[in-house]
Amino acid sequence: MNIGELKNKSDLSYNIAVAKRNALEKANSRMIVVYNEHIFRADPETINLVNVLKENNSNFFVLDTNNNPVEITNPEEFLKTLIERNQESLSSYHQMAKTFEQRGD
Amino acid sequence: MTKGVLLYCFDTADTNYHKILERCVYLIKKNLQLEITVVTNYESFKKLKPLGFVNYKFVEPELGNTKNGKEWRNVDRHMSYDLSPYDTTLVMDIDYFPFTDNLKQFLNTKYDFLVSKDAYDLTDRNSFAYRRWSMIDMVWATVFVFRKGPKAKRIFDTIKYVKKYYAYFNEMYRVYAKNFRNDYAFAIALEQANGFINYDTLPFALATLPPDCEVVKFTDDGVAWQYNDQVMYTEQQDVHVLNKEIKNV
Repeated sequence: MNIGELKNKSDLSYNIAVAKRNALEKANSRMIVVYNEHIFRADPETINLVNVLKENNSNFFVLDTNNNPVEITNPEEFLKTLIERNQESLSSYHQMAKTFEQRGD
Repeated sequence: MTKGVLLYCFDTADTNYHKILERCVYLIKKNLQLEITVVTNYESFKKLKPLGFVNYKFVEPELGNTKNGKEWRNVDRHMSYDLSPYDTTLVMDIDYFPFTDNLKQFLNTKYDFLVSKDAYDLTDRNSFAYRRWSMIDMVWATVFVFRKGPKAKRIFDTIKYVKKYYAYFNEMYRVYAKNFRNDYAFAIALEQANGFINYDTLPFALATLPPDCEVVKFTDDGVAWQYNDQVMYTEQQDVHVLNKEIKNV
């Protein structure tokens, strides 16, 4: 490999690494969801917590992103909202990841 | 309960901000679908192309502030409480482009005042770690949401007070930048008004393109930029563009 090819490979790797990081950041931003006038992150931790609490209680309390307590009175609806937003974000990230593969990484 | 977006736009000798406003208004209408009020002066207003239904409030911008040796008409943000015709207001810099509807939901919270503490450098150079430049966390007054009421009024009254004695507060909090920055005025006011403890924030970092990135393409879905010899792009992501040459793209 000559120095020109090396530079091209290096540039491509850099581009893909930055694009991947940006796509993940974009997904993280999209995972923020407002429910019941509070802000939540539709991440695996929140989804798992709500799923577990829902198994035992018809209503329960969780913390929003500013650590304020929120009473959840409709767990099914809340969990559905979280999962939808989580999967929407990751679906977009997945599509972007496919383009990285096509670009050769 | 009325909701809307408040924007500020004042042309300077160096920058036709009205061109940037035109792009921003288009994206707000397309993606946020909220009523818009633009705070401007007649000099900037008369250059605007027709933007459809937009409210205008005319004020004369306070002069004297500079950034990188150029005139910077940005010190009027403290008047947002008085100027906004809405019960709940999203205030944005006109160079923050909403390519998604992400921001709209924050008008539906119980919070009186929300602002972000973090910016995310789209070039992966971590250019915005300004925390090291002062004793307190900086906030990004680029985007904030407030709901009119006693608490928001108190915060804006404090912002006005901090602005009035900015040199003193600037020294006290050991802020590195000596020009007036809304980001620090807001950060100091929030610190003071909330009893020197944590305050509520928007839980995301503002995706930002540093000033040395030249925007080479701008579409309805996103932007492409050049940094050194690399061209990159992002779509379906809100972006704060610091290079004002975007008006020419």
